[in-house]
Amino acid sequence: MSEASGRRGREGHIVLYACKYTPVELLRGFGATCELAETDVSSFDEADRLAHANLCGYGKALIERMMASDAHEVVLVSCCDVVRRVYDVLAREGRLDFLYLLDLPHKRGEAERRLLRERLADLARSYSAYAGTSFDAGLALAGVEPFVPRTDPRVTLLGAHATPPLLEAVERDLGGAVENATCTNRQLLVSPPPELARATSESGCDACEGRVGADPLEAFLDWYVGALLDQTPCMRMDDVAAREALRGGTGRRGIVYHTMKFCDYYGFEYGEAAREGDVPMVKIETDGTSQSAGQLHTRLEAFGETLHGTEVAHEVAAKRGAGTRGTYVMGVDSGSTSTDAAIVDGEGRIVASVILPTGARASESAARAKAEVLERAGLEETDMTLKVSTGYGRDAIPGMDTSITEITCHARGAHELAPDVRSVIDIGGQDSKVIHLSPTGEVVNFVMNDKCAAGTGRFMEAMARVMEMSLDDFCRTGMAWKHDVRISSMCTVFAESEVVSLVADDTPTADIIHGLDESVARKTATLAHRVNAEPPYLMTGGVAQNEGVVKALTDVLGAEVRTHPDSQLCGAIGAALLGLESLR
Amino acid sequence: MATESIGDRVIGWYGNVAMGSIDTNPDFVRRWLMTGFRLMTEKGKIAPDGRLYRSGQMGNAIFMDSVTRALGDKGGAVFTSIFCPNEIFHALGVHPATAEAVASFASGAQAESGFISFAEGRGVPETYCSYHRILMGMATSGVISRPLMLASTSAVCDANNLTFKTLARHWGCDHYYVDVPIDVTRESVLYVADQLREMAAMAQDCCHARLDEDRLLELCACSMRTDRDLMRTLPARRGRYLANSMTIDEMQMLDLHLMLGTPEVERMVHQMAQDYNQAPRYDGINLVWGHVTPYFVQPIASRLNTSQEAQVVASDMMFSHMPPDEGTFFSAERPYEFMAERVVRNCFNGPATRRAETLRRLADATDADAVVFFCHWGCKQTAGAAQVVRQVLEDAGYPVLVLDGDACDRANCMEGQMGTRFSAFLEMVGAQREERRLERSIR
Repeated sequence: MSEASGRRGREGHIVLYACKYTPVELLRGFGATCELAETDVSSFDEADRLAHANLCGYGKALIERMMASDAHEVVLVSCCDVVRRVYDVLAREGRLDFLYLLDLPHKRGEAERRLLRERLADLARSYSAYAGTSFDAGLALAGVEPFVPRTDPRVTLLGAHATPPLLEAVERDLGGAVENATCTNRQLLVSPPPELARATSESGCDACEGRVGADPLEAFLDWYVGALLDQTPCMRMDDVAAREALRGGTGRRGIVYHTMKFCDYYGFEYGEAAREGDVPMVKIETDGTSQSAGQLHTRLEAFGETLHGTEVAHEVAAKRGAGTRGTYVMGVDSGSTSTDAAIVDGEGRIVASVILPTGARASESAARAKAEVLERAGLEETDMTLKVSTGYGRDAIPGMDTSITEITCHARGAHELAPDVRSVIDIGGQDSKVIHLSPTGEVVNFVMNDKCAAGTGRFMEAMARVMEMSLDDFCRTGMAWKHDVRISSMCTVFAESEVVSLVADDTPTADIIHGLDESVARKTATLAHRVNAEPPYLMTGGVAQNEGVVKALTDVLGAEVRTHPDSQLCGAIGAALLGLESLR
Repeated sequence: MATESIGDRVIGWYGNVAMGSIDTNPDFVRRWLMTGFRLMTEKGKIAPDGRLYRSGQMGNAIFMDSVTRALGDKGGAVFTSIFCPNEIFHALGVHPATAEAVASFASGAQAESGFISFAEGRGVPETYCSYHRILMGMATSGVISRPLMLASTSAVCDANNLTFKTLARHWGCDHYYVDVPIDVTRESVLYVADQLREMAAMAQDCCHARLDEDRLLELCACSMRTDRDLMRTLPARRGRYLANSMTIDEMQMLDLHLMLGTPEVERMVHQMAQDYNQAPRYDGINLVWGHVTPYFVQPIASRLNTSQEAQVVASDMMFSHMPPDEGTFFSAERPYEFMAERVVRNCFNGPATRRAETLRRLADATDADAVVFFCHWGCKQTAGAAQVVRQVLEDAGYPVLVLDGDACDRANCMEGQMGTRFSAFLEMVGAQREERRLERSIR
C-alpha cells in the first residue's frame, strides 16, 4: 500500500523506517538513505491527538517523528497492530511525500517468500517512480554487513525497541558491553552469494551474468527475500523457536528484558524466559519516553550488583582503616517516606538505629538521621570505617563512601532478621517490590511495580484521604470488616471513583478498607508470581505496619506473611552489613 | 464496584467463590462455573426474557448452548480466534470456542479479576486485551481443559497470534495460524484458502475424524445464505424498535461467527427479519456501534437496553464481512476460497479506513443518527483507528463518540465518567436531530 505525492530530487532522499524487516538495502539501491525513526519527546501530544493514548510509546514516537517537518519519506512494515495504525494516521494526514506499508507475512515458507518477493518488487516500482531513480545493485549490496556471531562477555538487551537514552542507561548502569537485540535491531544473517556481487560490479562478468539473469533487481530480489525473512525472528512471526538462541550462548552474562507499555509481544516472551532461562535476567518496562528510561536506575544497578557482586569501595575503607574505637559501618536508607540509619560493629551486631520521616529534602533528612544514629551509638562520624547509602535518595546523600541499591540491601537485611525467609515483600511509599532469595540470602530474582502508585503506600494514603481518615485510623478500622467488598481497580484514580461510589451507597467503612487491603494484596501477589516467590515470606516497608494488608496477603498467597519489629530498618541494616562484608 | 441488585449480589458471591479456588482447585472452579452456566442456559429456555423478540431469545440460547458445550466437553473443544472460519470444525463435529465467548462467560460470572490476576502473575501484560487475559488465566490455571487443537488468524489483532501460540505450548497441542494478507485480491484469497486446506488436514488429525467435504459444502452454502439474509435485515432495522440489549447483541454477534453455517444461526437470522419487519416504529436515537460493548456499565446499559431512548441498530463486529457492491470472487461452491475471502474482506483486516467504510455503510443502510466507537482496553487496532474512523464518519455527516473502557474487565471502566460521556452524547445527538426536524418542518 503506498501513498506518494510530489517528487523530490535525488539529493536528500532520507527514508524513515521502524521495523527490522524493512528492506533498507533495497531502498539504498535506489539511492535512499535509511534512518531508524527515533525521537526524544517528553510527551506524545500529537500522537494522542491523532491516534490514542493507549498505544505503545514507540508507535506514538513514530507518529511524532514522522509528522515532523523534516520527514518526507517513510516505509513501514505491517509488523504489529500499532505500526499498522501509525500508517493509517500518516496516510490520513497526507503530508508525507512518500509513504508505503509493506505487508510482511507471518510465516517463512515458499508461498510467503513468493508473496513477499512480489511486494518488494512493488515497493521497488513505487519508490523508483517516486524518486526517479533506477536500481543500482552495487549500492544495495554495499550496505550489507557480513554477520559475525558475538562471543565476547556481554549483557543482552532483549525485547521491545530501546530508545537511545534507554541503551545509554543500560550501558551506564551495568558497565561493560551491551548487545542490542531488541525488535528494531536488524541484522541479515547471510551474505550475498559471490556471483550476485560480481554480476552487479561495474565491470560485470560474462560467465556469471547468465546465471543471475539480466535484470540486477530481479537477481537481487531472488536472494534478498530470503535474507530479509530469515533474520532472527521477532515475536510477531509464527515460528519463533530461533529466538531461544538469544537467551543463551557463549559470552552472554545476563539479559535485560525490555517491555513497553501497550506492546503485546514481549511480555509473553519475558514470562517464558523468566520461567525457563538459566541466564540472569531483569525486566524493565518503559513507556518509550526518555524520562521513563531515567527511572530504571535502581533496577539496572541492582541487576549489575547481581551480576558483578557488590563492589563497595575497598580503597576508601583501606585508606581509612579501622578507627581507634574498632570497626563500625553505617548504613543509611533514604526512602520516599522515611529515612533510616543503622550502625553495625565489626561483628555485625546492631549498635544503634533510627527512623525519621523524609522531609522535603532527602539530603537534609539523611544528615539528621546520620547525626542521630551517631549520637545514639555514642560515636563520631570519623569512627565509621565505611558509610553505605541505599534507597531512592542514595546518590543524593553527601559524605557517604558508596551506595548499593535497596534491592540488594533489603535482601541482605531480611536474611539477617529472618534467616529462613525466601521471599521479601517490600511495599514502601513510592514502590512495591518482591525479592526472591536463595537459601543463603542472595537475590535470585526481583520485580518492582511500574511507575504508577498502584499497590504502594501512596495508594493507601490517597484512599485514606478520600475517606477523610488518618492513615492509622484507616488501618485500624479495616480490621473490623464484616462483608467482602470487591474493589476491582488498582489505579489510584479509578479506585477513588469506586470508593466514592461505595461511600455513596452507605457501604460500611471497614468493609471498603478491607476491599482496598485485598486489592493491594492481589496486586502484590501478581508481582510475587512473576518471580516465582516462595514461602516463608517477610514483609518490609511502611505498609508492613498495616495489619489488614498483611492478613490479606497471607490469604491471597496461601502462606503466612511475617513481619518483624525491625522490618522498617531492613534496608539500612542490609547496607551496613554488606559494607562490613566487603571489608572482609 | 458498588453492587446494586440482589441478582448482582448473588452473581458477585458466585464469582467470588470461583475466584477463591483458582490457585488451589481449578477442577472445582470449572465444575462450579459450569453448574452456573448450565443453570443460566436452562433458565433461558424455560423462562426467556420477555422483553426480547424471539430472535433475541434464540441468540441467547444458541450462545449459551454453544459455549457450555465447548467448555463442558472436556478435551472435545477447539479454541479459535474470533473471525476464524469454523465451518471446518462444525463439519468435523467438534465444538469451537473463542476468547471473546469464554471471557464473556467469566465476566458474566463476575469472576474475571481472578483469572486476570492469575494471567498477569505469569507474565501476561496488564495492557493486553482483556478477553485474552481472561482466556489466558482460565487456561493456565487449569480451569479450561486442553482442547483438541487451536486455530487462529492474523486478521484482527496481534493477540490472536500470541495467545494461541502461547497456549499451544502450554497445553502441548497443535496450533494452526492463518496468515491473512491486508490487500483484498484474488491472490490473497487463494493464499489463505491453501492455508485453510492445511488447517483442515491438521484438524482431521487432531480431531481423529475424516472431513466430509460434502458436509463442508453444505455448511458453507448455509453460511452464504445466512450472510445474505443478515444483510437483508439492515433496511428492516430503519426506524424500528429492535428490543435488543448490549448483551444480546454481543451473543448474536458471537453466534454469527462461532456457529456460522449451522441451521440454528440461519433460523435466528430468518427470525430477525421476521421480528424487525413486524416491529413497531422507533422514535429514539439509532446508533451504530463500533467494536464490542461494555454490557455491565449500568449508566450506559440503562439507556440502551430495550430502551425507547436509544438503541444499537448494527455493529461492525456483527457485520464484519459485508460483501462489496461489485460482488465477491468466490461462492460457497468453492468452500475454502469462500471462507478465505470472508476473512480477507473482514473489515477488521487491513487499514482503519476499511472499518470506517463498513461503519458508514451500516449507518447509511439503517439511517442511523450517530456512531459510537468503543475502544476496548488493550485493543490497539481499535484505539489506533479511533481518530481516523472519527474523521471519516464525521466527514460523512455522522456524529461520533469515541468511548474508552473495557468490555469484560470491570477494573478498566470508570462507570461514572463513561456514563456521563455517553449521556451527553445522546443529549447532543438528540438536540441535533430535533433541530433538523424543526428545519424540515419550517421548509
